[in-house]
Amino acid sequence: MVAVESKQDLRLMAHLLRRAGFGATPDELDRAMDKGYDAVLDELLNPAGNDDIPHDLIRRYHVDQSNLHSGGAQAHWMYRMAVTDYPLREKMCLFWHRVFATGSYKLIQTRVVTSQIDMFRDHGMGNMDNLLVQLSRDPAMIMWLDNQDNHKGSINENYGRELLELFSMGVGNYTEEDIKECARAFTGWGVVNPAYMMIKMRNNTSRPYGNMTWQFEYDDDDHDHGQKTILGETGDFNGEDVVEIICRQEATPRYIARHLYHYFVADEPPVPQWPHTPPTNPEAIDAMTEAYFESGHSIKHMLRTLFTSDFFKDEALRYGRTKSPTEMVVNTLRLAGRMELPCYETYDAARASAGMGQALMGPPSVEGWQGGTEWINTGTYVERVNFVSRVLGDPTRPGVRQIINRIGHAAGDDDLSPESLIDACLEVLGPMEVLDSTRANLTEFAGTYGRLSFSDEGRAADTEEAVVNLIQLIVSTQEYQML
Amino acid sequence: MTTIALSLRYVDNVGFNADNGGRGFHLPTAMVVRGDGRIFVASRSSRSQTVIVGIQMVSRDHDYYGQIGRHGGEPGNMIGPTALALDGDDNLYLADDFLQRITVYDPQGDLITTWGTKGSDEGEFDAPSGLAFDRDDNMLLVDHRNNRIQRLTKDGGYISQWGSSGDGDGEFNLPWGIAQDRDANVYIADWRNDRIQKFTPDGEFIAKYGASGDGDGEFYRPSDVAVDSEGNMWVADWGNQRLQVLDPEGNFIAKARGEAHLGVWAQEYITAQKDEERARSSYVPVFEVDTDDINEESARIEPYFWDPVAVAVDDKGRGYVLETGRHRFQIYELA
Repeated sequence: MVAVESKQDLRLMAHLLRRAGFGATPDELDRAMDKGYDAVLDELLNPAGNDDIPHDLIRRYHVDQSNLHSGGAQAHWMYRMAVTDYPLREKMCLFWHRVFATGSYKLIQTRVVTSQIDMFRDHGMGNMDNLLVQLSRDPAMIMWLDNQDNHKGSINENYGRELLELFSMGVGNYTEEDIKECARAFTGWGVVNPAYMMIKMRNNTSRPYGNMTWQFEYDDDDHDHGQKTILGETGDFNGEDVVEIICRQEATPRYIARHLYHYFVADEPPVPQWPHTPPTNPEAIDAMTEAYFESGHSIKHMLRTLFTSDFFKDEALRYGRTKSPTEMVVNTLRLAGRMELPCYETYDAARASAGMGQALMGPPSVEGWQGGTEWINTGTYVERVNFVSRVLGDPTRPGVRQIINRIGHAAGDDDLSPESLIDACLEVLGPMEVLDSTRANLTEFAGTYGRLSFSDEGRAADTEEAVVNLIQLIVSTQEYQML
Repeated sequence: MTTIALSLRYVDNVGFNADNGGRGFHLPTAMVVRGDGRIFVASRSSRSQTVIVGIQMVSRDHDYYGQIGRHGGEPGNMIGPTALALDGDDNLYLADDFLQRITVYDPQGDLITTWGTKGSDEGEFDAPSGLAFDRDDNMLLVDHRNNRIQRLTKDGGYISQWGSSGDGDGEFNLPWGIAQDRDANVYIADWRNDRIQKFTPDGEFIAKYGASGDGDGEFYRPSDVAVDSEGNMWVADWGNQRLQVLDPEGNFIAKARGEAHLGVWAQEYITAQKDEERARSSYVPVFEVDTDDINEESARIEPYFWDPVAVAVDDKGRGYVLETGRHRFQIYELA
């Protein structure tokens, strides 16, 4: 009885670490089990410190990652995700990058998008009001949505519209007049030297001396100080006031909760369908909305509610989401083990993620990536299999070696049947469950190796080869694409 | 002790972001100044913009003479250039920490040979990051990841070595740049120990200068050092994004944060782009920034040094500071 409960606990813990992080190595899963679900969740929600990544070494060996204007930014973030001790914080950076989608292809420089991701790292699990103010001051967002062109007496509605439509409340909860008034409230929110920065962006040039990273500047002379009526409230509102009004609306946490549900629990339909399609699980949205108001608009409390809920722990939903390309790549790199600097693999990883359909800092539009089943088609599946089987098919990697050793240690002096070897591989890679047809194919393959034994010196090399090849086959399955 | 009232005077800058090739540099990492005034600059560039990877030849008067080598592993080409030096015959030596090898070019830039083996045995190296030639015209090679200095013949034969991993006298933590004074004493930018170390020509420890910090005479990850005819040390204080000059005893003399104007190549470009010229006319550098990150500060303020990686001093006492982030070098004088 205890063993069954323990196995259930293990599977739940693995589920948490897949969804709230980038999966776990067998050793990480062991350590998490020693702590227990609540303690692990506390650690995920309350990062104890900054990621201690060696910025000096990165900048020394990868000069483009010091510059960050000239490529390298995606690899820089990949490295961070692959080595972080605080995976939920990085996962929330990815989450906000999807919701507040900002593309470097328009901005030309990736450094400012990196700074925006840094801002998500600092504020992404904090207070929603603060996050939206930071977002409104963010130079990348300002230039992405043309707020440097939003002037007193000559408004540009782009940011005001997206703030309401995509970043907080969702369509159907405000009027066109609210958008205009919101835009008026954000007049004067721009960047330093806007004319020159805009022309460099438009001309797609970093000449003569490279880009100058943008800096937020508020110009009170350019701010419209007139009365504005937004969402039924009237006053001489500035941007911070509008954010405060928006964050008081129930539509805001409901909209964010639906995004969180889609990202962490189960697929929701595309955002444009939300105004006329109810949430898959309205009670889940209610619970997170309640947590938001009870906590003074805390995103962390919404997350805690989600990860402690029955709907998150529901066994029927496990392995029910398709890994995004970045989740797939980072999960694989972390399984493969420690990364030394200089590290050129992060460039390959960023390229692989793009090839699978998720170019970091290059979302297809302001609506970000829909994700879900849309991640997979014939071409992207081949990219996935190629990347994962290449990385995890290398027994010299410390993580792969650890997996082999773990299976060998568990087997001891005993021979392994093909079935038990497959069980062992699935256990260390998840634990994963596969379809009967998949298992049958794997069993047939393992059977071609004859006698499987780690303790018999004459058979150990073949058995190790069988493990590596089985890992390659398992990570190529449809099941490995899910989390 | 006499107080020396000297300060650094900005003279000029040479450079241009040539990420698509042509006149200029892209993410340069190494430089050397030849006796006739020709300056060799190695552009490391990024993995996505490799056309400019090579050694650009220029003068401080803004002449551009073309490029030696290109991106690639073939003999004569390069992937991770880190250091340049000239031997007594003005042959040019390039260190490459990706290919783990030394490439030798004649004074015209034609390939002579390439050699090197990654490892930690005598004569092998791991990430060569600084090069110089001693008074016997043997090579001094900063063996970055092996935390030692090796003396090699010009074709890579092992002669001697000194140094080991650590922070004690004569020990190193990922050393980078190298220089010699007129007495052939050797100076090493002990990068991750935040100091400069001085050795006799035979590698005996003499002194160390600096400590971790951003105060006068302190360093954060100094990447290179040059010694002028007076024995002053010009230090590329890479992590602090500045140039510092110390006197021969290691006392602080002067520092510079960078003050580049639009150089000749930059001005020519701007003049040819009418819309950019118009917009640039309203541009005023803003020196107040809302960040404590000095690297980010450099990224925002064009006149400032951004990743000052290498420093050289010519026979007229001019100091050349190469900036990876701004694709140029700024020239200073002590006055």
